Amino acid sequence: MKRILGILSFVGCAALFIGLIATYLLANSAAAPVLAAQVNGVATTSQGVLPHAFLKLNTYPDGEVPENFNSDHSPHSDWVSYGPSTTLQVPAHSLVTIEITNYDGGEVLNNDFFASVRGVEGQAIMNGQPFTSISPEHVGHTFTLRPAPANTTSDLFVSVPLQAVAEEDMPESGYTTKPNVVTFSFVVGEPGEFFWNCEYPCGDGTYAKFGNAMSAMRYMAGTLTVV
Amino acid sequence: MSPVSVSTRIRHFTKRTYVRHVFLLWIFFTIMVGLFAPLQSKLMGPAASTQMEVVQETMTLFTYMAAPVAGLIFAVVTYSLLAWRSKGFVAPQYEGTNSRGNGPTTVAWILVSSLLCVVLLIWGLAEMADGQTARGDERARIINVTGNQWVWNFDYIENGNVRSQELYLPVNEPVLFHVTSVDVNHSFWIVQMGVKVDANAGAVTDMRVTPTLIGDFDIRCAELCGLNHSAMFTKVHVVSQGDYLAWILKNGGHQ
Amino acid sequence: MSHTAEVTTAKKRKGLMRKLNVWTGIVFGVVVAVAAHYLAKRYIPMGADETGTVLMDRVVITTMFGWTIGFMAGVGAFVGPYRWMMNRDLDHDDQMWLAGKDAGMARYFRFTTDHKVVGIQYLVITMVLFAVGGTMAMMIRTQLMRADSTFLNNTWYNTLVGMHGIIMIIATIIMVSGPFGNFVLPIMIGARDMAFPRLNALSFWLIFAAVPVLLSAPFLGGISTGWTAYAPLSTQAPAGMDAYIVTIIIFAVSSAVAGANITTTAVTMRARGMTWNRTPIFVFGTVASVGVAIPAFPMFMASQIFSGLDRTQGAAFYDAANGGSGWLYANLFWLMGHPEVYVILLPALAALLELTPVFSRSPLFSFNSAVGGIAGITGLSMLVWAHHMYASGWAPDLNGPFMLTTELISIPTGMLFLVFIGTIWRGRVWGRLPMLAVYAMLFNFLIGGLTGIYMSDVPVDYALHGSMYITAHFHYTLMGGALTGMIGATAYWFPKMTGRMLNEKIGIPAFVIMQVGFNVTFMGMFLVGLQGQQRRVAHYDKLFENGNFISTMGAYTIGFGALMLLYTVITSWRRGEVASDNPWGAKTLEWMVPTPVPLENFEVPPVVTSDPYGFGGPDAYDLEYEEDRRPSDDLETERV
Ligand SMILES: [Cu+2]
Ligand SMILES: [Cu+2]
Ligand SMILES: [Cu+2]
Repeated sequence: MKRILGILSFVGCAALFIGLIATYLLANSAAAPVLAAQVNGVATTSQGVLPHAFLKLNTYPDGEVPENFNSDHSPHSDWVSYGPSTTLQVPAHSLVTIEITNYDGGEVLNNDFFASVRGVEGQAIMNGQPFTSISPEHVGHTFTLRPAPANTTSDLFVSVPLQAVAEEDMPESGYTTKPNVVTFSFVVGEPGEFFWNCEYPCGDGTYAKFGNAMSAMRYMAGTLTVV
Repeated sequence: MSPVSVSTRIRHFTKRTYVRHVFLLWIFFTIMVGLFAPLQSKLMGPAASTQMEVVQETMTLFTYMAAPVAGLIFAVVTYSLLAWRSKGFVAPQYEGTNSRGNGPTTVAWILVSSLLCVVLLIWGLAEMADGQTARGDERARIINVTGNQWVWNFDYIENGNVRSQELYLPVNEPVLFHVTSVDVNHSFWIVQMGVKVDANAGAVTDMRVTPTLIGDFDIRCAELCGLNHSAMFTKVHVVSQGDYLAWILKNGGHQ
Repeated sequence: MSHTAEVTTAKKRKGLMRKLNVWTGIVFGVVVAVAAHYLAKRYIPMGADETGTVLMDRVVITTMFGWTIGFMAGVGAFVGPYRWMMNRDLDHDDQMWLAGKDAGMARYFRFTTDHKVVGIQYLVITMVLFAVGGTMAMMIRTQLMRADSTFLNNTWYNTLVGMHGIIMIIATIIMVSGPFGNFVLPIMIGARDMAFPRLNALSFWLIFAAVPVLLSAPFLGGISTGWTAYAPLSTQAPAGMDAYIVTIIIFAVSSAVAGANITTTAVTMRARGMTWNRTPIFVFGTVASVGVAIPAFPMFMASQIFSGLDRTQGAAFYDAANGGSGWLYANLFWLMGHPEVYVILLPALAALLELTPVFSRSPLFSFNSAVGGIAGITGLSMLVWAHHMYASGWAPDLNGPFMLTTELISIPTGMLFLVFIGTIWRGRVWGRLPMLAVYAMLFNFLIGGLTGIYMSDVPVDYALHGSMYITAHFHYTLMGGALTGMIGATAYWFPKMTGRMLNEKIGIPAFVIMQVGFNVTFMGMFLVGLQGQQRRVAHYDKLFENGNFISTMGAYTIGFGALMLLYTVITSWRRGEVASDNPWGAKTLEWMVPTPVPLENFEVPPVVTSDPYGFGGPDAYDLEYEEDRRPSDDLETERV
């Protein structure tokens, strides 16, 4: 009897120890809430007529905008962040159009490669004008998307630069009233997981400026799930 | 106590039942370990470059060299356990041998392992010398590789201002990669070609390869480089020389 | 009159020293840490062009050093030097109190200098570290069970990989020379204590102080670098990296102190008559291990000090844009990193070498080869570090020489294998848990060693470096070889250290389950490594899913076996069968003293007249030569 109690209490302690760590990890590993794309009509694409799905994102110089997930769920609401969420979901076999409104300033890229629009369907539009690249000296952020390693059905690679808000238009406090709006589309196929992140070095104060917001999920990096 | 000649000792030794059993076990374990050689090559897949062929050859050779060594050790300890075990939880009633070593055995062991070591070394140096000859190969096409958290970029500097995120290579043509990084360390690894070199900020490292198979192969970053390290992979498309040129021209380059 | 007053003051002052223990240490450590945090935040200047990140690093590092110094003061580590400076050196009573005379359980929770107490403390902290690091391994394997698992996000995955790595490295470094090097080694050589008892306690409590520092890393943004903490990635990492840096600095001090102590003890305090030829092989292994650590860990410490300066002061040791180089880090790191493998391995192998004669009832086969093997490995281990950098692009012309030194290591390692199988050959294999560990180690370490030879070959390394193959290889050496050796050593010395037998009815099944799980796990890892899966990835190609699933199942099996083993250790320790003084019939000195071992080990200093391997009788087969006849059959001669 004493022995069984001993075993039980040992198993209990072990379970508690492992359980506590696992629960803590799960709680802190949770992704931002899902932001699902709205399907609205169909579109003619290079791959036939497909449902047309829309997503609207923003980039603010910090995470304190009320509509953004990071405003009240993040230990670092002062970090630059994509919003409203970084966990995106789009329907399979559709044309996805993403509209990003960039309220943030910016400077030079580490790598010019990301100053050009890459892998989009049709043309990318900035503030109503089609564009294929911007100056690598004035980049606010980028939206760069590629398949997750487990996703072997797709070799999609999309990268779109967001023009920085001009220095003189960045107010001392509050947010600019002259954001840059960039719209672009791409075609997704089979269900699967994609990773996206920003490639502009906006993780200030660290080596190559890729720390902080650039090196944590939910700020300048997220997932796009095709379902 | 009459002196016994070495040959007599050896003759007697080999006539012992347990020595014969161990010998059979040795052969058995040697074969078992040796079976890993073809398995290894199979798992690594068809070699997509001359370098990978060398790698697979080397691993096969080393496995065959290791097999008898591992086999002998397994055989001796397995037989000892099976035949000379003292059962139960009480201390053994009988003592084992009081031999404190055997000079000839020790010397033979050290000689054989040194010999194996020399073989390994000569083989390795010969492989590397081959690589060295390739280093002087002037015909190699130079491609610049840049690692960036978490994307690879390729500049085909001999074909104009072409830049890509997936790599295109003509088959059977030596390539020399100049590899660097704009941020942290990455490692440029073409998996099926068995070659890899780190991408370091502020330095250019060299890597040579001659692709021998047409097809799509994997490039993976092999040095932990932060948040999306696992997503830092891309493809290499090995194509015929004509297709390569067509691709270059399509992307605004020249011959 | 004045005389009485002096005595009272002295008593009062002694009273303070006697009130210090681990709890006062923790309280004082927290107080100093909070004060340091506040002062740092308030007064550390921030340049105009510096950001909050750099400031945070400065504050965090200051806080952690505050904790460490506060804790060490609070636990009583500085009492000795303080009293010496005050010209009131510790008297005999104080010494006895420090040694934990008649203090019961309480002596395990304070700055106790008795080497046996320190040994037990090390054993417990090692097991705690294994539990924490092992749980992290389970989390990592859970994430890797499927290719696109979302159990952990990338930040947590990277952090756990780094934490698991460094915790296990620290745990395995101390796992043999800590518990057994402290508890067993002095008795084994006939000494009454270590050469520097207070340094001994210091080395343990420094590790104790480092544990909370290291475990704070996940709460400071994590470690994004893995345990190697390569620069410049470490310069970019969040404040969790500061925890790593401070931990390594503390750990390096601890290991230097422990190394000096063990070496001095073994060299100067051996019993009369214990010549080097009569010194047990475990002493050689442990001394070699800490001897390798003495030059190796300062490199690690320097690498982390530079890293800290880069992070907090913009020192640019590793920043190529400002004249630094990541290769500097890689060199410093591996100058520690490869010797460290042998720091871990040597004492574990030596412990098994020590017990193999006892469990084969025959002498150590070729003692000189064993010593030569250990010496050869020790010497060569310093000359091979850059085999970790073949593919780094640093000095490709050095790859050949480093391939040479690396392959040479197989010769002394082979000598150790010869000693093992030679000792077992024609012995009486006694199948208790310690001997099972010898068998498991021989199997695992052979695989680990042979795959190591593959990777010493430069072109092969180009193909395999940075892949899961490497992960499997070094787990075969460090876990399959060294950790298995530590389990064997624990089973062997358990009766002496705890006074009770380890229950093998559960212990052996637990050990076998662990070994099976271990081989399944890392065979799976060899498989995906050959297929081309890189290390340290949170997600991977579908191609690798089967191998990873196998690995994860194996890992759970290890976890189950390890919990069983832990249960056995705890229950046996509490109420196992009481052990006799020498349950194994061994001949080393630690088995000649009573259990529990008295405070100063030996009433009369022992005199040694032979080595401890005088087992066995004349081999029946060797007797035959004299008559020059064939044995009629095996069984008959067995009964001689
Ligand atoms: Cu950004
Ligand atoms: Cu990388
Ligand atoms: Cu090494």
